[in-house]
Amino acid sequence: MFLRLLFESFRRQKRRKSVALLAIALGMSIATAMIAVGNDIGDKINQELRSLGANLVITPIEDTLDVNIGGVNLKPASEGAVIPEQDLIKMKGIFWGHNIKGFAPFLSDKKNIETRGGEVNAELIGTYFAQPLRHGDDQFSTGVRTVNPWWKVEGEWPQDYGNWPEQLPPDVLAGRKLRISGILDSGGAEDQAIVAPLHIVQAILGQPNAVQRVTVSALTKPEDAFARKDPDKLSPAVRERWYCSPYANSIAYQLRQALPNVRVEQIRPVEQNQGKVLSRVTGLMLLLSLAALLAAALAVSAAMAATILERRQEVGLMKSLGAGNSAVASLFLTEAAFLAIAGGLIGFLAGAVLAHRIGQSIFGSAIVVHPVVLAVVLFGAVLVTFLGSAGAVRKAMQFDPAVVLRGDA
Amino acid sequence: MKRSQLLLRLLFKAAWVRKDRAFTAVVSVAVVATIATAALTIYSDLEGKLSREFRGFGANVVLTKNSGFLTPDELTGVHKIVGSAGEIVPVAYAIATETTSKARIVVGGADVDKLRELNSSWSFSNTGHGNALVGARVDETITHGSDLRLSFGKASAVIRPAGFFHSGSDDDSRVYIPLEDFVQLTGIRPNIALLRIEGKPQQIQNAISQLSAGLPGVEVKPVRQITQAQTAVVGKTRSVVLASSAAVVVLIMLCMVATFTGSVLERRKDFAVMKALGASNRTVNFLFASEAALLALAGAAAGYLLGCVIAFWIGKANFDAAILPQPMLSLPILLGSVALALIASTAPLRLLQQIQPAGILRGE
Repeated sequence: MFLRLLFESFRRQKRRKSVALLAIALGMSIATAMIAVGNDIGDKINQELRSLGANLVITPIEDTLDVNIGGVNLKPASEGAVIPEQDLIKMKGIFWGHNIKGFAPFLSDKKNIETRGGEVNAELIGTYFAQPLRHGDDQFSTGVRTVNPWWKVEGEWPQDYGNWPEQLPPDVLAGRKLRISGILDSGGAEDQAIVAPLHIVQAILGQPNAVQRVTVSALTKPEDAFARKDPDKLSPAVRERWYCSPYANSIAYQLRQALPNVRVEQIRPVEQNQGKVLSRVTGLMLLLSLAALLAAALAVSAAMAATILERRQEVGLMKSLGAGNSAVASLFLTEAAFLAIAGGLIGFLAGAVLAHRIGQSIFGSAIVVHPVVLAVVLFGAVLVTFLGSAGAVRKAMQFDPAVVLRGDA
Repeated sequence: MKRSQLLLRLLFKAAWVRKDRAFTAVVSVAVVATIATAALTIYSDLEGKLSREFRGFGANVVLTKNSGFLTPDELTGVHKIVGSAGEIVPVAYAIATETTSKARIVVGGADVDKLRELNSSWSFSNTGHGNALVGARVDETITHGSDLRLSFGKASAVIRPAGFFHSGSDDDSRVYIPLEDFVQLTGIRPNIALLRIEGKPQQIQNAISQLSAGLPGVEVKPVRQITQAQTAVVGKTRSVVLASSAAVVVLIMLCMVATFTGSVLERRKDFAVMKALGASNRTVNFLFASEAALLALAGAAAGYLLGCVIAFWIGKANFDAAILPQPMLSLPILLGSVALALIASTAPLRLLQQIQPAGILRGE
């Protein structure tokens, strides 16, 4: 009997039901899209913030002071300490190795360089451009193309030369001319220098396996008071928590453990601020999503209440035929639940498409909707429709059936 | 009773007798107006608010005079373009030798307080009582917290640190002293100025072009990684906020239209009674439209106010600075809501007009 009532209610009131279904589906597609966008915006903006470049810099601890004015390095490469290039790969082996998105080693010195136009004295900088490397089974490439994404090249990027870790024989370049592959526009001091593959510069400067400085781009968690604690003064349990949080400080600590005799510094303008910018953007989207979710919930509730309020005559008829309040309520709420689940499913699909479109058009990469959002949306849909219906059903039941049927209520 | 009084009474009664129906209609309009106001208010102020967050990155433009020093006239010109919100720190550099270790150290002359303000992300430890800022590496390798004895060719001086800083850049190997002392010791005046231009990405670009045009012989270099990141992050965030708000507003609007249309269709009996009593199609349309417009106006006004409060609060909570209401938005929000409500309530009447009133009253 109950099922028949339910079925007939849907069959006979197609228009009314479709209006409610539409409202629920629209509300739930908002919920899905906003949850998906709000959830993914952190990663997407973090990718954009990568264009700020490296956030950590590694230098040898024994190094002498840099003597650098206006981007011109006045310290000879022979002076000061170096880091062995072959040790750099150990960075990928630290606890937060996966958060190291790239690194670029540098070795530079002033050099007389013969060109077609005569001899020039210029700074020669050696680095990785997109050097293929391997750590265990993990193959990746790293260099300035990932770490300094604001560098632009007119022409072609140079090819990294020589397979790491095998070193080039010292005389490999004797008498060989090097071709200029492109003109670099870095917007910085490198615009006045010649930038070449690290292994060629090591051979030219006679410093095999040597690196003066490494910049590292690492995904980090914004610094808080806990991040600034000295790990050596913490109790073992707290220290472990500190060590296992991807703070710039803990990654720097782990890098110092992996590479002996280096100092690791935060590039403070980048490290200190990118977390702040990121938290502003994600915070804004979170609050906007909450407002949108609340609005969707209210809109769906209002729509449900409106459809049920119009059915008070039905309630009057049912009650005059002897139906109890609970029977009427359970019929209406079951209807609401069916509508909520159907509307939630349609809304989820539409919202996922919407989120995907937003991701593609703004960030050029899709925003993926996590399947768990479906459960959240369905639960939310049922809850909101129940809340919207319950008040209206209660209201409808308070009237005297006779009055309702006469049309006086 | 006059015609207008009767109309008012009809409208008032229609809302009063079915308070709950009127209430749901007002709520659904208010929800649309609230979310539209909040989203648009936030969107209109977002570029400014988010750009402010890039302050901490330090200088975003570096001026370098290729030969000679930056003249006071040139610096005044720069001040005019950068404005009072930005910061300008002229710097001069020289190489000095530490007298005991014979280490070469780059010494900068600048307004030390302004330099600290510009580089708010550096970590400072105030330990000394002097007036120089000493880079962390200089402190680690040479001074170890004590004074620094430097010789600049013929002149020499004892530098007393006011504090030590970590920057993560070449500055860690430098010492900054007040510009007057620097000029006295070396005779060198600043040929570099570090600028932080405040504003939206477009404003920064405009200032850079003005600087390049107005300062011949001075190289104007934006710190590209910062300006690029700012443009990308601000632009994309704005786009996301706009796209998602537009989607939310459109969907909630549809939701409201569905509610409105549904509730008008449910009033087919009212419609039929009016027609049976001799009302013309125009009169009935007018009555329904006026009722919808009144409800929408009430809902939109409440929604606009609530939307302003939400935007204000989101600004306070997220950016530590209120997002102020945009009075310009009030008219489009009110008119838009009324127009929507009119469309939503009068479109179903066309359907009803095709049915005979007698048929509706019979319950067909």
